[in-house]
Amino acid sequence: MKINKAVHGEVMVITIEEKEANLSNSEQFKTQVIQEIAAGRHRLIISFIHVEYLDSSFLGALVAILKALLPYEGRLILSGMNGDIVNLFELTRLDKIFVLKENTDLALKEF
Amino acid sequence: MNKTILMVDDDIVQLELFKRLLTANGYTCKTALSVDAAESILNSEIPDLIISDYQMPVKDGFDFRRILLQHDLLKQIPFLFLTSVSDNSFIQQGLDLKAIDYISKGTPAKQILTKIDNLMQSVRTHYEKSLSEIKGIAEKLNLRNTPEAAPVLKRFSISFFNTHYQNHPGGDFIDFIQVNDRYTFIILGDVMGKKWGAWFFSFSFLSYIRSAVRLCVYDGDLSLSVILAKLNRVIYSDTLLSEIFSTLGIVLLDDETGAVKYAGAGDLPALKYDEAKEELKAYRSEGILLGFLPESTYNELDIRLEGNDELFMISDGMIDFEIDGVKRSDINIFKLKLYELKKNGRSANDIKDILFDKHTSQVDDCSIITIKPIRQ
Repeated sequence: MKINKAVHGEVMVITIEEKEANLSNSEQFKTQVIQEIAAGRHRLIISFIHVEYLDSSFLGALVAILKALLPYEGRLILSGMNGDIVNLFELTRLDKIFVLKENTDLALKEF
Repeated sequence: MNKTILMVDDDIVQLELFKRLLTANGYTCKTALSVDAAESILNSEIPDLIISDYQMPVKDGFDFRRILLQHDLLKQIPFLFLTSVSDNSFIQQGLDLKAIDYISKGTPAKQILTKIDNLMQSVRTHYEKSLSEIKGIAEKLNLRNTPEAAPVLKRFSISFFNTHYQNHPGGDFIDFIQVNDRYTFIILGDVMGKKWGAWFFSFSFLSYIRSAVRLCVYDGDLSLSVILAKLNRVIYSDTLLSEIFSTLGIVLLDDETGAVKYAGAGDLPALKYDEAKEELKAYRSEGILLGFLPESTYNELDIRLEGNDELFMISDGMIDFEIDGVKRSDINIFKLKLYELKKNGRSANDIKDILFDKHTSQVDDCSIITIKPIRQ
């Protein structure tokens, strides 16, 4: 999956560079992020600024990433999601387990 | 569908010639001048075919192939060697590394294209044959994650609709558990994911749900929040499901009193069409999806169904659409179409006929369960 990684101090910002986050790229994305976690990156922001649509496979990958951070007491913030995706998170109570921020700047202030 | 081919060659002229040939014939072509560059592309994209030169500086085509063979996902991509060497030992060495074939650099363009077209077609045919075999086995074993029919009750009429996405069974699962003459549990779950992977795991969830319901019933406890909490605990501790998550909605029908209870875990709201008020009301459960936390709490809601009221349980495929090429999730589109149907006195079962049309396509497997009270 096309992603862009930028490091801000202890925080890594992973920007998804694709319009669709779905079954075809969810497994690869999960592997890419889990590798970062294994390498010691435990403060992460995932930016969805370019993402128009996200399916349940990708939601599953995000939950798995969040669960992988739990043993390290790590932190994951999701930023830049469009209205449809935020609504989906709220409808399915995923907003209770993820921290959502409007943009990366606001997300960085959380750390 | 547009297929993507990754070309790897240290000769930029050769790469450009191939790129022109392939793109002019409907393929998307990614190019890499080295094995390292190819690996970088593979980190972000999985092509349908890889064509690689043998002889390259630093890492050659054989090194590249060996790297791919160590990777579970990448080793499955069909691989062709490209060579200007006619040495049979080179060719044999490549084929020994499970390359499907090789293309000689001197081969006329038309033959190269035919070879690639045939290979892609052969991969497709092989995939469809495997799919057909799995489907046949599943049918023979009567492996179903949706029942053949809904139970017939005195006070309630139940109907359901489930359709697969692109003809693949998916993660939606439905069950009706009649524990005695009085109580029936209605289950609608959705394993996060699509197609066969989600389908496979849906059986693990179904079996846990049946066990949790039965155990709670034996203990005399019909509380949906207790059932969900127990279920969550056991799913959380199952290492096989540690990275698999499912949403779940449960409705308990009391066929003696007509009472309806609902609880959910990360599911979409249950929707009730209130005939008297002519409105569609959403009942949102508070529980998060199963298996994320070791302990979660779940609330239980009472829903009163009277007259021609109807209660709907839906999976997320019902709110995922592709409208004129743009995909989106929007429960309001679904609610509006459902509301219009009910307001016009039509059956909610018609929703499946009007939800998707020439502008709006299905993008996931879809399920809806409808529960109506029967006048006594």
